[in-house]
Amino acid sequence: MAVEARPARRASAARYYAAACSPGGATMPTNEDFQDWIDAVASKADKKAFAALFKYFAPRIKSFLMRSGSNEALAEELAQETMVTVWRKASTFKAGHGGVSTWIFTIARNLRISHFRRLPSSGSLDEPGMWSAEDLAANVAEAPDDRIFINQREHGVRQALAALPSAQAQILRLSFFDDQAHATIAQELGIPLGTVKSRIRLAVNQLRRALDDFKS
Amino acid sequence: MIQHHPGEELLLTLAAGRLESGPSVLIDAHVETCESCRVQWRHLQAIGGALIDEAEPALLKTDALSRTLARIDALAEACNPNENVQGAATTPHAVLPNGARLPRSLRGSTISRWHWMGPGMRWSRIELSHEPQASLFLLRIAPGRSLPIHSHSGVEFTQVLCGSFDDGRAVFGPGDFDAADSGVHHQPIVCKGSDCVCLAYVSAPLKFDSKLAAFIGQRIGL
Repeated sequence: MAVEARPARRASAARYYAAACSPGGATMPTNEDFQDWIDAVASKADKKAFAALFKYFAPRIKSFLMRSGSNEALAEELAQETMVTVWRKASTFKAGHGGVSTWIFTIARNLRISHFRRLPSSGSLDEPGMWSAEDLAANVAEAPDDRIFINQREHGVRQALAALPSAQAQILRLSFFDDQAHATIAQELGIPLGTVKSRIRLAVNQLRRALDDFKS
Repeated sequence: MIQHHPGEELLLTLAAGRLESGPSVLIDAHVETCESCRVQWRHLQAIGGALIDEAEPALLKTDALSRTLARIDALAEACNPNENVQGAATTPHAVLPNGARLPRSLRGSTISRWHWMGPGMRWSRIELSHEPQASLFLLRIAPGRSLPIHSHSGVEFTQVLCGSFDDGRAVFGPGDFDAADSGVHHQPIVCKGSDCVCLAYVSAPLKFDSKLAAFIGQRIGL
């Protein structure tokens, strides 16, 4: 069955790539598609699959980095570097740890940190690790390849995020996107720091309740 | 049973990549041993993924993909099969009591041997490979001994690796995390039984009440 599924998936990478090039094209790929493309990159150095990942992620990473305060040239550079890292590290992607988008987010985030701290740009990428806090968890009994579970959790996070009251969601977004201390967020929104903190607490607790089924 | 956690705000700051390396190492160390924080941490990271997905795609340079592929080809030609040769913690380093182990987030860092700083009290300096100036220490204190009474000019994060201490606010045991700031004036006393080893980070020097302790603290950099 796997033998049948593979060519179909690769065709879908090619289709996504082609469609994304034309206006109004491509249906949104799912986390499962991403995982297949990462697998293809890891096992076969598949450039079509990589191109499909690139089409989807590189523009979004660039946008994320620009919203986080990078200028356009730097955002472009780091977006490309993120994708180079995706290629290099594809074989280390562990589906059990989270979705592909989350993994790529952590790569982009770490590259941005390295850049601003003027760290050597290779080597140090691995440490502190992409999933450093979770390495241990991987050694503890866990079902690392339960794709369905991970897909559900990724979906659950999106739903929970969408269900948050807008004031809470706003604080979470600002925390991630804008390179701002919570004190700065408070100042800009004209609310007390205590309110920022309590909204964070409420938002995280609400996410936790919504995601209670996705414990491991 | 872990009783004291970093709290949502710190986990969020870490997940968003806005926490400096020093404190990150401590939170990582906590998350490594704490199941409930690990779950939260994953959820918070997943928010990052969700935000990437919903980001409005920015326009890339027209040759972005070909340039990226060229960089990948250059990588292959440079032929470096050496992907992550990672330094283990460099020896000689402070040896921990039986049953305790160093957090994974310290991999690659330089850990000094134990230095004496008072009866029953030893310290070791940790230098992160990517940010050696971050003020990170291991403190090893014998049962019944205490760190001199102090307050804080910045924040002090503590992750208990083994043993336990009581600072009058609460008892902190293995796996517990504590954040103390300028509002906290305390004297952690190690509980009976075994040595207590903590990983500690200070953003600014501690303010010791006694002149002698202040002198020693200054020499250590604590």
